[in-house]
Amino acid sequence: MKRFIILLLLASAMLGVAFAQFEGVEATIVTFTGPQIAEPLQRRSPDFEALTGAKMNVVTVPFSDLYQQILTDVATNTNSFDGFVFAPQWMVDYIVPGFLEDLTDRVAADSDLLWQDVAPFFRDFSSTFEGQIYTIPLDGDFQMVYYRTDVLEENGLEAPATWDDYINIAGSVDGQDMNGDGEPDFGSCIAKKRNAQSYWMITSVWGAFIQSQGTSQGAFFNTDTMEPLVNNAAFESALDVYLATTEFGPPDELNLDVGDTRGLFTSGRCALSIDWGDIGTLAIDPTTSVVQNKVGAVILPGSTQVLDRDTGELVDCDANTCPFAVNGVNHAPFAAFGGWSGAVNAAADPLVKDAVYAFFSYMNQPAQSNIDVTIGITGFNPYRVSQFENLPLWITAGMSREAALNYLGAIRESLNSPNMVLDLRIPQNQRYQQIVLDTAISQLLAGELTKEEAMQQIYDGWQEITDELGLEDQLSAYRSTLGVQR
Amino acid sequence: MRSGGRPEGTLQGPDASQTRRSRSLRERIGSWFDRNAGNVFLLPTFLIVLLLSIFPFLVSAYLSLSRIRFVRGGFEITFVGLRNYRKLIKGSEKRHFLGVFGDFSLISWLILIVFVALLGYALWRYLRSGHRISAAGVIYRIITFSILSYGMWYLLKTLSSGGRPGTLAVTFIYVFLGIGCQYLLGLGLALLTTQRLVGRRFFRVVFLLPMMITPVGIAYTFRMLTDTDKGPINPIWKLLGLAEVSWVTSPWGARWAIMIGDIWQWTPFMFIVLLAAIEGLPEELFEAAHVDGASRWQIFWNITLPQLVPVSVTVVLIRMIEAFKIVDLPNVLTNGGPGTATESLTLHSFFTWRALDLGGSAAIAYMLLIVSLFVGISYANLLQQRAQR
Amino acid sequence: MQPIRRLFQSRSLHKPSPGTAIISYILLGIWAFIVLFPLYWLVVTSLKLPIQVIEGPFYLPWIDFDPSTHAWTYIFVDVWNDTVRPYINTIIVAIVSSVLALLFGGSAAYGLTRFTYRPRLAAIFTFLGLLVLSIVAINLGLDWRLALVVAVAVFLLLLQPISKRFQRSLGNNDIAFWLISQRILPPVAVVIPIYVLFQRMGLLDTLTALIVTYMAVNLPIVVWLMRDYFQSIPLELEESAKVDGASPYRVFWSITLPLAVPGMVATFLFVLVFAWNEYLLALFLSTADAQTMPLLVAAQNATRGPQWWYMSVLILIMIIPVIILAIVLERFISRGLLVGAVKG
Repeated sequence: MKRFIILLLLASAMLGVAFAQFEGVEATIVTFTGPQIAEPLQRRSPDFEALTGAKMNVVTVPFSDLYQQILTDVATNTNSFDGFVFAPQWMVDYIVPGFLEDLTDRVAADSDLLWQDVAPFFRDFSSTFEGQIYTIPLDGDFQMVYYRTDVLEENGLEAPATWDDYINIAGSVDGQDMNGDGEPDFGSCIAKKRNAQSYWMITSVWGAFIQSQGTSQGAFFNTDTMEPLVNNAAFESALDVYLATTEFGPPDELNLDVGDTRGLFTSGRCALSIDWGDIGTLAIDPTTSVVQNKVGAVILPGSTQVLDRDTGELVDCDANTCPFAVNGVNHAPFAAFGGWSGAVNAAADPLVKDAVYAFFSYMNQPAQSNIDVTIGITGFNPYRVSQFENLPLWITAGMSREAALNYLGAIRESLNSPNMVLDLRIPQNQRYQQIVLDTAISQLLAGELTKEEAMQQIYDGWQEITDELGLEDQLSAYRSTLGVQR
Repeated sequence: MRSGGRPEGTLQGPDASQTRRSRSLRERIGSWFDRNAGNVFLLPTFLIVLLLSIFPFLVSAYLSLSRIRFVRGGFEITFVGLRNYRKLIKGSEKRHFLGVFGDFSLISWLILIVFVALLGYALWRYLRSGHRISAAGVIYRIITFSILSYGMWYLLKTLSSGGRPGTLAVTFIYVFLGIGCQYLLGLGLALLTTQRLVGRRFFRVVFLLPMMITPVGIAYTFRMLTDTDKGPINPIWKLLGLAEVSWVTSPWGARWAIMIGDIWQWTPFMFIVLLAAIEGLPEELFEAAHVDGASRWQIFWNITLPQLVPVSVTVVLIRMIEAFKIVDLPNVLTNGGPGTATESLTLHSFFTWRALDLGGSAAIAYMLLIVSLFVGISYANLLQQRAQR
Repeated sequence: MQPIRRLFQSRSLHKPSPGTAIISYILLGIWAFIVLFPLYWLVVTSLKLPIQVIEGPFYLPWIDFDPSTHAWTYIFVDVWNDTVRPYINTIIVAIVSSVLALLFGGSAAYGLTRFTYRPRLAAIFTFLGLLVLSIVAINLGLDWRLALVVAVAVFLLLLQPISKRFQRSLGNNDIAFWLISQRILPPVAVVIPIYVLFQRMGLLDTLTALIVTYMAVNLPIVVWLMRDYFQSIPLELEESAKVDGASPYRVFWSITLPLAVPGMVATFLFVLVFAWNEYLLALFLSTADAQTMPLLVAAQNATRGPQWWYMSVLILIMIIPVIILAIVLERFISRGLLVGAVKG
């Protein structure tokens, strides 16, 4: 611990020299109503003020309305906020009209940021659009599979490597008592509630079937034609997996959001779950968890067959079809939502912009973020390479050595994967995902649609939006987010 | 457009000749105010409502005919004509908005025939009533009745086997079933608490409570309560051997969960208005009936109920206008799921709006406006006027 | 059979027979349980630790589980500053907007029951036509101030000749129906325009914006309910006062209003409850300073799922003032609506 305090002091001293110029500057930063995310911002803003003189007011908005409210605010030129802490998934809707400040030069000039220490995916994809940097990551978000180490061990099972394994495990442990209350518990809990997180879950499943050639290949559209990749054998396999998991889930799984599945998992009622990094830190918190050190994490399961984009059929993995496969299994970890990031309002005062940037940089620097990512309440998950090497930090936070190694290993494996799936970031992505995809998946789960109807409905719905917004524009935006050069 | 109120008040503005005697400025202003008292009373409200509503009305109307898009340097609104509406009625949103039509069963046919017969009877009664019949009135009624029959046909079609109600039909279900239950419960409770029972004031206050809670709060409370896993009904559920069954994952179970929340919240409104109405009925009526030896049931059926018709009509109209906008409960309880089973029109519009499809969202809102305006006007005209007679 | 029959025989008009009383109590008890149980569940949940909420249903503090005041301390100590401001805002906004709505709406309702209005159709159409024209003109690049002045001038010029030529007009009931129809459009459809309106006036994130909006939204309901009460007040009193030379305002203020106080109290409660609980408009019209309590409740649903324990505390502290008000006003409500309901 001492080492970090010294480090902190050292960093503070350096910062003090670097940023003393913000005396009297005041800025408003908006994020959603915490305690997560808002808590560390509020906690650290007095320290930042002591260092630089800039006062950061953190205001909050309910999570479900954050996107709309920020956009309304900037689009009508109200500009109540100087900085935003939001999901980089939304950024294209803000960048295209010119609402966000380009931070490329500031990042390049900022040596305290240790930008190279930020995991490559977040540097090159998550915070970047058309080669320019617009957001500073504060949180690393991608999905993993969590499993109960004790339950799997008792049954002589290994952590799932493929989605078939996932279903087999879920099926064989479903109905066992996993928390000692004498009641049967569930094989798998996935948040399948409509208009919640369900569409990220299904994307986590389909990623491995559809994307195999690296992040730039994209998992939503064909990068040449903008044709949706949702009406083919690979997508159908993913739907089969998704439907199969429902059989081993709680009876009201269709009405569970991640809050519910996290509760179920940490109260020991599920053997498997798909989630962001949060379960890892929630599971070590004695006020919420009865499964301390019984939780393992693993990179999202993969597939031994992937989509051949020319034929729309599944083909077996080999060196050509799955260049990044591990043991013949193609993994495609999904950076769902993208991790809370800071962005600067382009319409703010120049000095205020600098101050807001300095604040995000301060939050991002290892001295601060390496501590914040181990605290459950911050909602921050690790995103820096150095954060995986600081094992003591995680053990201090309450993890056993094995659990910490296991958790960090899964994160590191996901983050280092060159085949990470980037969340959809083209303009109006909310319509593609939250409206069309989410509704069709929900109708499929509820039995309102067959698989074929659901795939057709997503395909048609996506085509319709693309036509409405202009095929060329959407295609070039899609390629830009994936870093594809023309 | 005729509304339903009663005949106008009988006081006319003060006689102008009386007030023209004095000359001083102050008195002249005073007399001007006296002469225009009617306008002074009404105009502030009229102007406030007009100013704050006409702008949103027009803007939404325009948005519903356009499409919003973010381009370099800001946003761009393109006029697209009726395309947003066409999408709902004919295009890709049709199955979502209107639903899927199923096959008519014998029962559906029976319900439809009975419904049409009732409307026909109402028309016949109007024609036989003798007074105040006009050609316009007849044509107006025929058109209204045809649209109502068509609406019934639509509802039955989506609710029959093989069909699936769209958000429009779901909203109708919420409005009619919900208000029906609320009215009956409210009336029953009001009758119970007008008896001279010890502790009735306690019950009256308790029964008012649900109305006081913020709708968002109620929605979350009911989400806790309806959770079959960690909610309070879990043991009962297990006792019934339903541990593996969840009501919120079946369409009708989920709809009922939402309607129960709605009924819980809004029965108090019906209750308090009807309670006051019953308390206000002239005592002599009851005494006379009691002396004549009428049974309680006869008193209720022949005296209380007819007296309650006018206030019932008003209170149902107010509730109807609010109920068409139901959004918090389905949004929080089920998010419109499973599938689209519990999605109301306002929620449909809200989801679309949240994804920044402002045009599509405004079009749905305007469809809602048209439908509830039609239902409201025909209801006011056909029932309220009768109630006043 | 005979004893049973006697059990249900009522001896007086209002005093129910013992049998009826027992059945009534059973039914009242059932409904009271239905009403109170969710509230009880809120109280219990507010006393639970997160793990106790997640693990399954526990019903009785001290018996089922050990109650904890962690949620109450969090709201009242840790984030007290973030709670007390919305709380005060809610109180100010709800009371001021309801009083104003009652004042304006009440006098409008009085006007609608005591005077005859004949708004000319022609004038309405002229107004609408000019409105559309000026919007088109503004879209084509005309300055909006100029457009407004021109439109008002033309309207005033045209008003007299047109009204003389076309005599068709609407009546009081049409005005009332128009008012209530303003409540039909769902808030989603109006929230962005209202936001832009207040943004142009520089009133965003102020209590004024919320007060004005809630007042306007509540006016139709006030007019509708108050119309019923005024209608049921006998006209003789007012007429005799008028014969004595009292002005219409004096008649309204010192004769009609006192008679309608119970009805006004009831209406006030309805309207207050609405302003107290409104969510979507408050969300957009306030960002930091003017936030109200419903926002705080909704905000407890965060990325980690709803924080039931905090939410329960907030809901409970939100309803306490309204419950007290309901207890105080209950006697007025029943007598209040009583007056209005005689004729419906």
